[in-house]
Amino acid sequence: MDPFIHLENVSMIYGNNGTSAAALDGVSLSIDAGEYVVITGESGAGKSTLLTILGGLQVPSSGAVSMRGVDLSMLSADGLADFRRETIGFIFQAYHLLPYLSARENVMVPMSPLRMSGRAKADRADALLSSVGLPGKEDRLPSELSGGECQRVAIARALVHDPPVLLADEPTGNLDSTTGEQILDLFSGLHKSGKTVLMVTHNRANLFRASRAIRLRDGRVAEDDPFLAPYQAL
Amino acid sequence: MNIRKLAWKNLLRRKTRAVFTGLGIFLGIGTFVALASLTAQMEGAVRDKLDKFGANILVTPRAEQLSLGFGDISLGGAQVAHAKLTMEDRKAIESIALKDRLRIVAPYLLAAADASGKDFVWMGVSAADIGQARPWWKISGSTIREREEVILGSEAAAALDKGPGGTVTSGNRKFRVAGVLAPTGEKEDAMVIADIRDVQALGKNPKGVTFFEVAALCKDCPVEDIVAQIGGALPGAKVSAIRQVVESRKAAVDQFRKLGLGVSAIVLAIAGLMVFVTVMGSVQERTREIGVLRAVGFRRRAILSLLFWESGWVSLVSSVSGAAVGLIAAMLASPLFGIERGGIAPSPALIGVAIGMTLGLLGAIPPARKAAALSPTEAIRSL
Repeated sequence: MDPFIHLENVSMIYGNNGTSAAALDGVSLSIDAGEYVVITGESGAGKSTLLTILGGLQVPSSGAVSMRGVDLSMLSADGLADFRRETIGFIFQAYHLLPYLSARENVMVPMSPLRMSGRAKADRADALLSSVGLPGKEDRLPSELSGGECQRVAIARALVHDPPVLLADEPTGNLDSTTGEQILDLFSGLHKSGKTVLMVTHNRANLFRASRAIRLRDGRVAEDDPFLAPYQAL
Repeated sequence: MNIRKLAWKNLLRRKTRAVFTGLGIFLGIGTFVALASLTAQMEGAVRDKLDKFGANILVTPRAEQLSLGFGDISLGGAQVAHAKLTMEDRKAIESIALKDRLRIVAPYLLAAADASGKDFVWMGVSAADIGQARPWWKISGSTIREREEVILGSEAAAALDKGPGGTVTSGNRKFRVAGVLAPTGEKEDAMVIADIRDVQALGKNPKGVTFFEVAALCKDCPVEDIVAQIGGALPGAKVSAIRQVVESRKAAVDQFRKLGLGVSAIVLAIAGLMVFVTVMGSVQERTREIGVLRAVGFRRRAILSLLFWESGWVSLVSSVSGAAVGLIAAMLASPLFGIERGGIAPSPALIGVAIGMTLGLLGAIPPARKAAALSPTEAIRSL
């Protein structure tokens, strides 16, 4: 059986004015459905680049990426957009909510191009906001919410199309430890509900919730431990 | 939430930018509508005024020029008319198919007769027609209102040493000088002007007419058709359009139209440029936002649609408000341009709104295409 996500010898080289630097250098990985993978590494190790390639936001310089049996390199820009909408939920460190929209409207944004009634979209958004612990705050603007609440809105937005994969880039990076724990609880719940979670993080405390840890160093996979023994022993 | 609403909400958030974007269209469409409306009204006013400003068709007896001479001796020439014009011909002219376009048919009779012992050319006119036929005449005193009154041309008045209230005799008839004509630079300065019936009596030419001046209302100016119809009604007459008058009327109106179009084109081009610059700036300012939208699955078309909706909202609001202000400005300014009855012309406003919408959407094409072509990675590099 094919792996759910597969990277084969993926390299990403950024070049400018004759200089070039490899953000990823021959990375090969296979991730099964339902895994909770934490990607760690120093700054510049290639974590975020790996995440954007996995999310179809970026095409690698070389190598192949497939997800659910689909070769992402074969998809057009719009094909990749459709694929992201149906398959992937993105969660960013800085939330990236639209500041002029309420929490409900932010969750509804990915549904904007869809032909659905406004009522159905609002009901779906309200249900998701309730599931991430924000009932009663649907009409608040991001400026009226705490950091943790903003991240919950961002998670609800990522879940709006019920994607099987969640890609999170430092989702607790801007939060205090207590709030960060609450957000990680949410991710654990989503993982238990069957989602495949890939999370880039600096925080080793996040590792204890994951089923697998991948450490990148200089664009290469330095460690890939499906049992997290080194970390759990810490 | 849909793209239309998302666009509207974004505009409300960036009110200053939206206002600035719309300002160009507002000013452009306002100027266009005001100028187009004023031009349309001025065209009508100019036509009216030019139509009132004398005749544009001349009807004279058909004549042949005969040269007189004997051997090498030239005795000049003589005109031989095939038929004479009479007052009855006025009815024939006024019965043509395009009679509704005839503002005035004025008969004139020229006759040589004495005035207080001196020889003068007398010009007979229909007293009732003088005001319309010769609106530029400036008369010291009053115009002739009844028979046995005359107006003296300025040179004739000087030669006779007569002024308003004086008396001029011709044969055994006595005429009261109603007024004196201010110098016109034309032949009438040396003439005695009287009611045509008096001149017919003096010249012993009852019902005689030397020529008719016809003033045709010149909107869409079918002057050739009118000339042909008068020629058909009066086979013995020579009917000619005073081409210079017709052409000058057209030229005057065309100048107004060209001026309005030229100024509008410049203002609209600037407005289009402003839309382009501000929407392009908006795209660059919102690179991250566009990246987020792409990350959550917006297709290129959805990004294009979002930016077109934004530009469309701005264009609609600014075009409609610009057109409304342009109409009001045209109404208020119309007296300054000599338009006596200013009114609302809806067609420039409708055209203005259509142009404003088109301009806004065209100006948004390059930035929208740029936004849609942004690679998600480039767009969210700062994420």
